[in-house]
Amino acid sequence: MRHESVPIYWRNIPHYYRLVARRCKKCGAVYFPPVVKCRCGSTELENVELPREGRLVEYTVLHQVGTDFLKQKPLIVGLVELSNGVRVAGQIVDAQPDKLAPGAKMEVVFRRVIADGKHGLVMYGYKFRPVGGI
Amino acid sequence: MKDVFLAGAALYQAGRHYGKNIDDIAAEVLDRALSDAKADIDALFVASSTTELANKQQILGAYVLEALGLDKIPVYRVENGDGSGGAAVALAYHALRSEEHNCVAVVGVDKPNDVLSNQQQDIYAATLDTYFERYFGITPLSYAALMAKMYLKKYEYRYEDLAQWAVLMHSHGAGNPYAYFRRQIKLEDAVNSEVVSEPLRLYDIGPLADGAAAAVLCNSRKEGPRILSVATSTNTAAFNLRPDYDTLYSLNEAARRAFEKAKITPRDVATAEVHDSFSIFGVLAVESLGLVRRGGALAAMKDGDLPVNLSGGFKSRGNMLGATGVYQLVEVAWQLIGREFKRVDGSYGVVHSMGGVDKVSTVVVVGL
Repeated sequence: MRHESVPIYWRNIPHYYRLVARRCKKCGAVYFPPVVKCRCGSTELENVELPREGRLVEYTVLHQVGTDFLKQKPLIVGLVELSNGVRVAGQIVDAQPDKLAPGAKMEVVFRRVIADGKHGLVMYGYKFRPVGGI
Repeated sequence: MKDVFLAGAALYQAGRHYGKNIDDIAAEVLDRALSDAKADIDALFVASSTTELANKQQILGAYVLEALGLDKIPVYRVENGDGSGGAAVALAYHALRSEEHNCVAVVGVDKPNDVLSNQQQDIYAATLDTYFERYFGITPLSYAALMAKMYLKKYEYRYEDLAQWAVLMHSHGAGNPYAYFRRQIKLEDAVNSEVVSEPLRLYDIGPLADGAAAAVLCNSRKEGPRILSVATSTNTAAFNLRPDYDTLYSLNEAARRAFEKAKITPRDVATAEVHDSFSIFGVLAVESLGLVRRGGALAAMKDGDLPVNLSGGFKSRGNMLGATGVYQLVEVAWQLIGREFKRVDGSYGVVHSMGGVDKVSTVVVVGL
């Protein structure tokens, strides 16, 4: 079950490239992934881009991966709290795992996520890296 | 409303059944459960997580009945990921309570070994948000690792404390004739196993296995193990937006409702089968179920034998995905009456069946 659907990828590009989240116009709650209705009951939601800096909450180095990630393993998977308080999970790159620690300053980067061989589709999205590199 | 009794049951040996199709093992186990119950059924609920993805089959229930020549019986497929088993038991229970049906069978079945291990990772990762988690390479294992790391820090445990979970599971599972890995292990085996997603090692994972379990439930019986209550709840918070990472919220709420309906408390529980697809989930489950205080599961395990997962849990009995919840129901019922398992000292048992990383949980209270 590889991720080979072009329509699915295409329609999610705003979220994958620019971290487009949904904010409730009434109470200000921010949802990522986006939701259809705010927990306050309002359906008046607007698209907002999430900030591109934050701090590392926790991370792990993952050695068992799915078919699309065999060439990239191990993956560093982490939880990052962005500067507006919204947390996002994702891959961490450009980092040595043993030098990472909770609280480290992180930034969003635009990277290749899945590549379907040499001549097939390349799909992109956000990842995180330590500010200044480690 | 009428009470719901377990009239008969059967379990299939957990393992790698390369020589059998998925409908074969489901039909075999259903046939044995029907013989055990000496009853006819008027509906079949099939719990399965991955029949389309791993086994390329839909409407599985109809093919299971075809294999047995059972005609004109309604079939329903229930899919809640690895929590499918509990969800199917819940629907069967409601069908019997409403008296729409009098005797029904619940068959849980999955055969993950029909695909390669990396494809199993793909399929299991589909229990997460497929567009925002699976797409980026995140898997349930990596989330379990994050939760384990935070738990060990917050409650000041060492990894060795967590590794005791696998040791306990294997000591329980060694006596379960249907378990995948029926042997004792030492702490060194667990702590020296390969790192799969630090801090978690290979022995923190419940191995995926092929399996099938069948329970025949009737509302006309008057004796034997009885389902006292069933409750299912969902955690709608995305993983990244959860207020903390040491509560299984779907379980917490399902347990509250199930205990209330059964009019018992966690203190009355003599045996519990919880969803420990990863060791840390078992630890969090006994706490969110209310069996021990928050942060106290590993200390309780050190102090004595927790009456949890006497089957061996996912680590030793195996993780049969959507089938597991049905295994758990049968195990708890049999532990209460001393069939196939040593009889427990008490009258109440609970089952916790979970789909995804705390996405949906079903709790079943079983009593004598």
